[in-house]
Amino acid sequence: MGLLGRIIGGTPDPDAAKHLAEQQARDAAWQTALDSGRLPDFVVKRLADTRAHKLPWVSTTSIGSLMAMRTHGIRPVGMVSGNCWFNFGFSWTKGHAAGWHAAIERMVEEAVILGANAVVDVRMKVSRLAELGREQMDFAVYGTAVTVDSLPPSKKPLVATVSALEFVRLLEAGIVPVGLAIGAHYDWLYQPAYMRQTAMNSLTAAPYMNREMTTISQFVNRVRQAAYGLLASDGARLGTGVLARTQFSELLYFEPEENYPAGRCMYRHIAMGTAVQHEPGMHRPVKVKAVFSVQDKPMRQSLEITEEVI
Amino acid sequence: MSQNPALDGLPKHAIERLKGLRESGQSEGIFTSDLSVNEFLMVREAGFEPIGLCVGSCIYHMGIQYGQWSQNQELNVLSQAMYHARELAMTRMTEEAQAVAADGVVGVRLEVKRLEWDREILEFMAIGTAIAHSSGHPGFKGPQGRPFTSDLSGQDFWMLLKAGHRPLEMVMGSCVYHVAHQGFLKSLGNIGRNTEITQFTQAMYDARELAMERMQNEAHEAGAEGIVGVNLHEGSHNWQPHVIEFFAVGTAVKPIEDQSVIPEPASPQIVIPVND
Repeated sequence: MGLLGRIIGGTPDPDAAKHLAEQQARDAAWQTALDSGRLPDFVVKRLADTRAHKLPWVSTTSIGSLMAMRTHGIRPVGMVSGNCWFNFGFSWTKGHAAGWHAAIERMVEEAVILGANAVVDVRMKVSRLAELGREQMDFAVYGTAVTVDSLPPSKKPLVATVSALEFVRLLEAGIVPVGLAIGAHYDWLYQPAYMRQTAMNSLTAAPYMNREMTTISQFVNRVRQAAYGLLASDGARLGTGVLARTQFSELLYFEPEENYPAGRCMYRHIAMGTAVQHEPGMHRPVKVKAVFSVQDKPMRQSLEITEEVI
Repeated sequence: MSQNPALDGLPKHAIERLKGLRESGQSEGIFTSDLSVNEFLMVREAGFEPIGLCVGSCIYHMGIQYGQWSQNQELNVLSQAMYHARELAMTRMTEEAQAVAADGVVGVRLEVKRLEWDREILEFMAIGTAIAHSSGHPGFKGPQGRPFTSDLSGQDFWMLLKAGHRPLEMVMGSCVYHVAHQGFLKSLGNIGRNTEITQFTQAMYDARELAMERMQNEAHEAGAEGIVGVNLHEGSHNWQPHVIEFFAVGTAVKPIEDQSVIPEPASPQIVIPVND
């Protein structure tokens, strides 16, 4: 009968009660673990068994990466992950920093159990539920915990948000990616409509003239500077520099309402990226060689080309 | 330590970080950037250090423009607005770079965002990473001793220096153009015919020409020898369908004056990749 039988409502599963009890025990274990900032015993056991080679190692990296890791004495140990479903009680913007940091901390905890020196190839992923809109979302990170030959296990493994190939290349150049730095800030500007009108009605300007809206420009700049200030201090906690490849900003306007008769603007900026540790002024040349590839791009289907040239 | 090639000659601080002996970075001397790891590598390989992210923004109210429905014409008010607002954003970014004593800004992105709530307001932003020569060579500044600006990536920057040139400034030209609507009789005459609509050809040609001409003049004034990496963008920022902006942007360059800092040229080795 099996699965199909259960779905169409045939013979009831004789082990249903047992399965339910197991699931409830698991739920309870997760609850206790999350409440006390630890991992459930069954996760700890699996990781410990992986570390002790009782279970196979796990790697999320490309095969090319695996090759490069091998020549550099770096071994994959296991896949580690962490996530944090976050409710934005007072700020969507600030919640991003909190959500990612919490997820990363959980991932690092797994890496510690594996006795790793670093987590490479870290990917970041968000999930949402349509009906919750922007109120809640999940921040998830996963990557491959690695050990570096001849180094003892780290108390706090590095989090490298780069591929294993890049990790190796950076080590060669004396640069170590150490973690994820985030700077997120937002602020309100009240009475934007009023300010806009004043700009238009002043003696020197008429509504048909080109005009910078200086108040809003300055406001936007202030918020962004504050976000970068936070990015720098978050980065300084980890290393000597931040490569903030992800930048998001948004300028919103809210129509006048009872408490804000002249309307209001909100601006937010989120910047995040890989924090690195290096020695400024001390560069180990990587001896780049220029190459010319004679590989052609494969011919594409005619349908794809159509939109570009035909 | 030398049993492991990856650790050979690695700075002490880096090994300590890997061992987990040191947990924190340092509170002073941190840089911020929007470089990729490869760009970071190549900027340093070129003999420069990143200093910090530089941004300039400008929220701009576009004036009202009157145009004739059946006339091909540049919309001066809008052209000037698009140029002026970008220039303000660029100038502010460059001022930030100057404040941190940078030699220049690489990887500059110029973004224009429309706002959902007002068709007449556009948000302009210039963002890039300020860099400085690691041994403080003075010969890499832009015009009038200001930091140079460039939209070249870290990799492109390295190759440009290898080519014996240095960036001066990002140059741009903008032209907002109204493409005339066709008269009813004229459209009627085209039914069933394969024919060029010269009126439209001419409009696109003219608008592009004006944008490129302006960009070239700007580079000339900056004392450039050439412009590299020119991109031509066509865009319609919340305007009516017949109104388009041609925007030309590139990096003005000149030969490196100090012969002693010109890197060895790199003649590419021909390769055939076997991995993809």
